Amino acid sequence: MNSEVIINARKDLHGVSCPMNMVYTKVALAELGPGQILEVILDDGPPINNVPGSLKREGHEILRQQQCEDGSWALLIRKSD
Amino acid sequence: MEITVNGVAQSIAAAEPDLLSVLKSNKIEDPQMVAVQLNGQFVESSQYAATILSEGDVVEFLYFMGGGSR
Amino acid sequence: MIDFTTEQLNRYSRHILLKDVGVEGQVKLGRARVLVVGAGGLGSPAALYLAAAGVGTIGIVDNDQVDISNLQRQIVHGTKDIGRSKVESAAEAMRAINPDVEVRPLATMLCADNIMEIIKDYDFILDGCDNFPTKFLVNDACVMAGIPFSHGGILRFDGQTMTVIPGESACYRCVFRQPPPPDSVPTCSQAGVLGAIAGMLGTIQTAEALKYITGAGRLLTDTLLSFDASNMDFRKVALRRQDDCPVCGARPTITELTDAEQTVCALKK
Ligand SMILES: [Zn+2]
Repeated sequence: MNSEVIINARKDLHGVSCPMNMVYTKVALAELGPGQILEVILDDGPPINNVPGSLKREGHEILRQQQCEDGSWALLIRKSD
Repeated sequence: MEITVNGVAQSIAAAEPDLLSVLKSNKIEDPQMVAVQLNGQFVESSQYAATILSEGDVVEFLYFMGGGSR
Repeated sequence: MIDFTTEQLNRYSRHILLKDVGVEGQVKLGRARVLVVGAGGLGSPAALYLAAAGVGTIGIVDNDQVDISNLQRQIVHGTKDIGRSKVESAAEAMRAINPDVEVRPLATMLCADNIMEIIKDYDFILDGCDNFPTKFLVNDACVMAGIPFSHGGILRFDGQTMTVIPGESACYRCVFRQPPPPDSVPTCSQAGVLGAIAGMLGTIQTAEALKYITGAGRLLTDTLLSFDASNMDFRKVALRRQDDCPVCGARPTITELTDAEQTVCALKK
């Protein structure tokens, strides 16, 4: 799957709780152009349960959502056009 | 006849009510206190007495409201 | 482009989270300049919420001093401020809520001679003045200068407001041709006003200012919103630009600003 996706920016949001994780994700996306890819690392629990849905409601696309070994999640987001 | 005044249906007994009498019956003693829209068009205050209403007319009294600061 | 500090991201997080405001909207707020006319009942909540929202530059104009009879509704002032200049008292409260914003207190009375010079530095004017001559002056000056503004008025349990985008939507004079004759319409100081009404209307006007700046939602243009809080009835009346409007119509008859006579309320104080 999407192995050749180019990631334009990364944001590690380990330990950042709701809703500031969404705020930082929006700031990171605002610095990207339409269609560019952002990877964020989110904690398990409320962060991974909330942030992807909020991003979809804003029109962004979730390309991949993968749990890491430490239990956190790597989320690949394509910024809306 | 039935007219609508500020969104509320009103029955008028007179056969040919003029705008000024409808103002008075709505307790607007001084016609200069309001701007009046009849079916979406403004009516000059000098024309209130000469404007005859008909069935189904929609009248809006827009009140001057000046307070705010003191 | 985005140079918010961590503190600012926290402060404005509830704006940034909104889809229709977001990071971009918050940047726009920071660059915006809003003038509040009157540091009274409507100006109080407006000044506080504009400052809290991070509007970069906020002017506030009023020539009055704080009186104890103001404090029932003019919540930007406190008991300790009695006797102080209203704009200085308001500026202190605004800076306390948000040191990020530049507050410009203007202790003067708006008049035909100074209004153009004052409003030209602002993107949006929020009218919270207490008299009809100034309301018409603000309308005419804003139409002539092409600056959007919010009209607001309160009385007893009632409030009304409309947003005017000059050249696009109905202006105040499209609805009310000229100030009412002195004493035909009571003012708050004569008739009284429920304090919270000032908060209800002032915050509606402020929301309009924030919407205009961020581009969020649909403005109260071509619409007069009025409410009667005694029954909590809210109504919108559709308006339309009038071709024969004396200031924004096809052939304006008002082409320069003049000071109408101020009606002095006999019952004041
Ligand atoms: Zn007009």
